[in-house]
Amino acid sequence: MAAETSVPASEEPLIQVEKFNYAYGDHQVLFDVDLNMHSKDVLALIGPSGCGKSTLIRSINRINDLVESARVVSGSIKIDGVDLYASNVDVINLRRNVGMVFQKYNPFPRSIFENAVYGLRVAGIKDRHDLEEAAERSLKSAALWDEVKDRLHEMATGLSGGQQQRLCIARAIALQPRILLMDEPCAALDPIATARIEELILQLRGQYTFVIVTHNMEQAKRIADRTAFFYKGKLIEEDDTMTIFNHPNDPLTESYITGRLA
Amino acid sequence: MKAPASTSRPSLGSLLLKKQQRPFLGIDKQRAIRLFFASNSSVAIIVLVLIMLFLLREGMDFLPTYRHELETYRRAGLEFCDIINRPLAEHQALCSKLRRAASASLNTLTHTARTRRDAAYELMREVEEETRLQRAILSDALAQIPAASPEKLTRLRQEMRAATTLAAARLQTPAALTPEEGRRLQRELTLLNPEVPELPPLLAALSADYIRVDREAHATFKPLVDAVEAFEAAPDALHTLLDAMKKHARETKAHVTELHGSGKEPSHSKPVDFDLSIVPLTSGITELTAKVEEYTLLAQKTADTMPAAAGTPQAVALLAEMRARLPDHLAAMRQAAASLPAWSHSKPVSYLEVAIAFFLGDAWITNSSWQDFFGFVPLLTGSVLIALIAVLIATPFSVIAAIYTNQFASEREQEFIKPVIEFIQAIPSVVLGFIGISLLGDAIKGVSEWGWLQWIPSFPIQERLNMFNAACLLALMAVPTMYSLAEDALNNVPRSYLDASDALGATKLQTVFRVIVPAAKSGIAAAVLLGMGRVIGETMVVLLVAGNRIAIPDFSAGPGVVFQPAHTLTGIIAQELGEVSRGSAHWQALFMVGIVLFLISLLVNWCARAFVRRFELAKS
Repeated sequence: MAAETSVPASEEPLIQVEKFNYAYGDHQVLFDVDLNMHSKDVLALIGPSGCGKSTLIRSINRINDLVESARVVSGSIKIDGVDLYASNVDVINLRRNVGMVFQKYNPFPRSIFENAVYGLRVAGIKDRHDLEEAAERSLKSAALWDEVKDRLHEMATGLSGGQQQRLCIARAIALQPRILLMDEPCAALDPIATARIEELILQLRGQYTFVIVTHNMEQAKRIADRTAFFYKGKLIEEDDTMTIFNHPNDPLTESYITGRLA
Repeated sequence: MKAPASTSRPSLGSLLLKKQQRPFLGIDKQRAIRLFFASNSSVAIIVLVLIMLFLLREGMDFLPTYRHELETYRRAGLEFCDIINRPLAEHQALCSKLRRAASASLNTLTHTARTRRDAAYELMREVEEETRLQRAILSDALAQIPAASPEKLTRLRQEMRAATTLAAARLQTPAALTPEEGRRLQRELTLLNPEVPELPPLLAALSADYIRVDREAHATFKPLVDAVEAFEAAPDALHTLLDAMKKHARETKAHVTELHGSGKEPSHSKPVDFDLSIVPLTSGITELTAKVEEYTLLAQKTADTMPAAAGTPQAVALLAEMRARLPDHLAAMRQAAASLPAWSHSKPVSYLEVAIAFFLGDAWITNSSWQDFFGFVPLLTGSVLIALIAVLIATPFSVIAAIYTNQFASEREQEFIKPVIEFIQAIPSVVLGFIGISLLGDAIKGVSEWGWLQWIPSFPIQERLNMFNAACLLALMAVPTMYSLAEDALNNVPRSYLDASDALGATKLQTVFRVIVPAAKSGIAAAVLLGMGRVIGETMVVLLVAGNRIAIPDFSAGPGVVFQPAHTLTGIIAQELGEVSRGSAHWQALFMVGIVLFLISLLVNWCARAFVRRFELAKS
């Protein structure tokens, strides 16, 4: 299914999803997903609600481990050749290198500064100077620095929704991860805040590998290099964004992007 | 199957109009139901207001009543006597230090002899106890008139002898006596008989030995023993004068109370003329001052001539402490004497003075033949200290338990831990008090006697029933409240924080202590405060276990202060309210205590609510 035509043959995919089956208890949500994601790409996952997109990206940093009944049925996800579900994987290091931004912005009820450096603090970095530098760098990357530089020690929850979400992005990139997972990052934001986030993603592309779940097809068109369409737990089609939206291979894809698939 | 017959349908316009309802008690039904519900919810508010009004009505009379009492106290001259009497109490404390030093010193010499004598006595008592029955029968027979038959007496004597022989044979020689002495005592004790009034010879010898040693010890420590006696006798002259003055003052006061006690203002008997009755006291100021001066000189002289050496290091320390405290005491005495001329019986007692006497008074003395004082501070310190210790003990337990069940425990553990902790609430407090008296008190006292724990201040402890004991039980009572509320607070932390922290590579512990607990901290603070509210209002346990000594705890003992007994706001009401006459100053004072207790509870609850409000704001 996955088209590899646009990828130089020499380059190994960064994330390889192979025959991945995933279930919550008896309820299977992903079926035989095969997907390769390449370094520095922006990949958008689209599809109707409940089709397993979120489950897939939540499996990439293993945050779904917290869900009690969640389990891998079969198959694997490999990053740089390492099977994430092997017993010798250090989950903490995995999550430091695979950042995540959630649907609903969720800064901690602490200061902006503390939010920005949280990941560094839990990683054991104590030096005040290093932390300040990292905070500035990540807030600048997240295009938030100018807005908050004078009130770094105020509560993060006092920011606007869009600012809070950008703070969450800053918080994630402070750890300088290789991969950024974004689970509908703009779902809770108004169009203006959404536009700023998209702009930010476009600025950051090339620095990180993005995997973005979105319901907004225009957004996928605007920001994604490649797009994957999921339906009922199966990967239907994955290709160049332009190909998907202009010449989809699968009739299901076509009916979804044209709004005919309920 | 229903057929909407268009003919039977009412017109739309008629449906839009209000239907005529049968009124219920003159108001329409909807409104009646509404009123019914509203009245139910307002019952609680009405009851609360009534309670407050009642408390205030009973308690607010206290200030005028107490003012009147204090005025009599001043007019009759009791206050005058107390000016000297109060600082003189320190003399007793110093005396007891000296006595302890002296007896510790004497003990070093007399200890062996006394132990030997006591051990021998103990053996004799054991034999006497064993043969109690035979002794009684024989004594009765001997005392009988007419005298019992000689055969019977012989038989009884034989029985007595057999019993003593049996009892003596069972005796174990104590460590203080040599085996040989033990055997001799056994032999002598078999002859123990109500007809022989003398002690067994060995016992007599041991007794004599002790008396000799004791006399020698007194000779050895003569300077110290003499100093103790001299110091004890130093204020004798002062006491004589003061006692006479106190007697006069008390008579005047008794006269006043008699006049008032008869109910209505008596027209036939003259009111007491305070100006006249005070004269014997005020005219004695010069003499009293002279006596005080005499006492200070005597006491100082005794202290100066007192030997610094004593039998034990502890005794030396006691002497040194006494010497260190003496100058302050004597200065206080002189100052008191100097302040006498400025005192006036006719100075009115202001309400401020009354309020200070109540809220800052350091003595709660009731049913006194001298003067009742209603000082609030000893009770408040007791209550607050006990509550603080209890909260200090309960907080870590309940918060850690809450964190564990909420964050780490498996579902099955949760299902077990939660009900068990909440079950503690079901234990009646009187049963807990019972446990405190019978079990915990002994356990704490026992532990405090362990050698390797002696570094803890004021170990070994003296009192089984003390603040720490009560606080432990109150902590147990507070744990369910604090645990449940803290658990709720943790539970209310949004799950998204957990996700975010995990996604940033935090370990479970980091997530719990850097994100979840801080996010729940105001809820946890509220839980602690509400636990404190529960503890401060608790009565039965403190009444049974806290020791009920009405005195401000001696904070000079440092952290060891917690092992002292104390009385509490709740305990005093429960203990005394049933025994005072309605409407007396004492009764009203207890109501005042109730009011203050109520205000404290209100404050604690209000603070807790404020915390919760903040917590809820942070959540949204």
